[in-house]
Amino acid sequence: MERSKGKIATREFIAIVILTIGAKMTDDTPAILYEKFSNAAWMAIIIIGIFSVIPIWLLINVFNTYKEKNLIEIVLYLLGKPFGYFVLFCLLVIGSVAITIDSSIYTDIVGTMYFTETPTIVLYAILMATCAFGAKRGLEQIGSFAWSILLWIKLSLFLALLLTFFQGKLDFIFPLFGRGVDEIMHGGISNLSICADFLFLTLIVPFAVNHAEFKKAIWISLCIVTVELAIALIAFVALFDYEPVKMLNYPFHEAIRYIRLEFLPNIEALFFPFWLLALFIRFSFYLYLIALLFGGLFKIKDFEYLIPSLATLFVLLGVIPENPTFSIFHFRDPFLKIVTPVFLLLPCLLWVMSKIKGDIKV
Amino acid sequence: MKKLLWILKSVIILLLLVMISGCWDQMEVDRKAYVVGIGLDKGKKEKINVTYLISNPEYASQQGGNTNEPATEIITFEANDLITSRNIANSVIAKEISYDMLSVIIVSKQLAKDKNFIRWMYDSTKDREIKRNTAFLVTKEKASSFIEQNEPKLETRPHKYFTLIFEHAGETGLIPRSDLMRYFRITEADGDLFLAALGTNQQTNQERSNGHLEAGEFKIKGKTNKTNLMGSAVFKEGRMIGELSGEETRLSLLLNDTVKSPNYTTTFQDPFNKDYDITAKIIKNKRNNVSMQQMNGKTILNIKVPLTLEVLTDHSMVNYAKNKEKRNQLKRYFTTKITEKLNKLVIKTQKDFKGQPFGWSLQGRKYFLTVDEYEKYDWMKSYPNMEVNMSVEIRFGEFGRQTDLPKIKQVRD
Repeated sequence: MERSKGKIATREFIAIVILTIGAKMTDDTPAILYEKFSNAAWMAIIIIGIFSVIPIWLLINVFNTYKEKNLIEIVLYLLGKPFGYFVLFCLLVIGSVAITIDSSIYTDIVGTMYFTETPTIVLYAILMATCAFGAKRGLEQIGSFAWSILLWIKLSLFLALLLTFFQGKLDFIFPLFGRGVDEIMHGGISNLSICADFLFLTLIVPFAVNHAEFKKAIWISLCIVTVELAIALIAFVALFDYEPVKMLNYPFHEAIRYIRLEFLPNIEALFFPFWLLALFIRFSFYLYLIALLFGGLFKIKDFEYLIPSLATLFVLLGVIPENPTFSIFHFRDPFLKIVTPVFLLLPCLLWVMSKIKGDIKV
Repeated sequence: MKKLLWILKSVIILLLLVMISGCWDQMEVDRKAYVVGIGLDKGKKEKINVTYLISNPEYASQQGGNTNEPATEIITFEANDLITSRNIANSVIAKEISYDMLSVIIVSKQLAKDKNFIRWMYDSTKDREIKRNTAFLVTKEKASSFIEQNEPKLETRPHKYFTLIFEHAGETGLIPRSDLMRYFRITEADGDLFLAALGTNQQTNQERSNGHLEAGEFKIKGKTNKTNLMGSAVFKEGRMIGELSGEETRLSLLLNDTVKSPNYTTTFQDPFNKDYDITAKIIKNKRNNVSMQQMNGKTILNIKVPLTLEVLTDHSMVNYAKNKEKRNQLKRYFTTKITEKLNKLVIKTQKDFKGQPFGWSLQGRKYFLTVDEYEKYDWMKSYPNMEVNMSVEIRFGEFGRQTDLPKIKQVRD
């Protein structure tokens, strides 16, 4: 397989972003948000979306100044060699931990909700093998696949949310401010890392067709993702109420097991395949990003060949915790908090450095 | 090289075929015993008696699927919980026990009133096959004998029978909508009472006025199933504390906006001729208006219930369609009558249950800005001291298919 040198257009870019970040509503992210904000989780996600504008805006500004460079080159140029390498290495570690946690959560979802008898390692291996295969095909193929299935995935999701709304009660979103406005603002900012994927997305900037398009794509996808997550969070509360929803590990999957389509009960089989496809896109893309970062950091030119070995590594790391439902839950929450300052500060740092060097003119 | 690649690809594709069967999770319909209903009774000490109502998939009402085997198989045994019971049952049942088709959980009144009842209920959230939309039924007798005595005549396939009877008894409002989801939601929110359907197949000899029937009091003759579902069991904090009759259940559904309101027919004494009853259909297609007020440290609840009433027959033959004056009189009569009944029910809930099954805490939430304030107010504790102002607004709908009636005197001429 050759390394894909093609560029991706705005629509492919938006498709990838929506599928990778939008998939968060189907894992345990809602559970974490409900735990903190009760029924006002939907407001918190909007706050998170709004505050994410700052780091993203700074990043875009920096990227506009250095049109020919990607994130790795920019970091090295602005922060100097030793410190720049250190920052990149931190990013690589964060990315690897994130992909390990996320993939083991998704394996846990499949294992607990659908395939209860199959050993975790088998599910994990199949998931990662598929994604490694997808990632190895290159960004262009991930992009076009994402675009081709985007409509169908969103349609099935829309149907699921619509049914959830109709079978729930909107009254459940009261008391409106959940645990209080303070809590929403505070908690919202400390959980900004839910949108930290955008930082990693800038790795693929050089693959974008042109910069103006890229800028537009980021803003559009940020809006769509925020609105989508907020709607999903309202829908789950409307169906389950704020107390029970906190106890569910994966509200989306409980919801599709509960809802019925008029005369059709058990319709989760209708949504499961689409969800799986979104899952494949998500992890193919993550694997690709990590390989890209790894390749950039260690100066490996044909970084696509790293993907299978990286995937194997993540599988092995992912099965270490004895039970994902406890250990990963406890691990993920502090992890989100640690990543937040990185997501906030790194763009600021880059911007300030670029300002000092006199490249950004405002 | 190319050939090798081709061979490799075909091997991978062939391997993919194996995965289609679902790896370790492959199942075959005829190797599974589908439990349609689970009955729970109190056992010795902290154990429960589990009854499985197992459906026979070979038995079908259509042609071609006929078999000499019976439609169901029932076993009862003692177990610690719902999860170990699956394995124990396999010492008797040859096929693997599956909860995939589970449609009803039946609990005896005795167990539902036990203080530890909620612990067994949460077993159902642990098992991966039990869904939250499984129906929930409380029986007056032991759940095991309820299941054994239940012999539906025309719909012998048990999953279909339970789905249908819940659907239609629910439509007429004689039983509330009760599933596991509502049980957990209401118990965890701790603001309302949960109503579960009540059923029995024992007939009691108690005489009561029409409509105030509880399960078992409805006398039927003929050759039919003895099971009847009527009224509801009231649960507070996950434990059964009382019962509501069929009529009270219907009234409670009129006050409750969290469920689909039933449209049902009922009878009232005719205000113009005490010997006859009027049959009316009560339709609720608008939401109630519930508002909360604080006054002198007392909470006042104002509840407006909009109803549409259709007078279907009147045996006194007053001819309401033509007579505006009498219609207004009738409207006033219905308004006071229904308000009276609703008030009586509210007082019963305040005094006997110290909580309400009407979902009003949901409307009450709108008056609080944060969850903390709302939880501090403690709706359940505050409810018995609230002042409830009920106002019923009645609109008349149709007066039957044919609105005019002949004058009784002219007919008898």
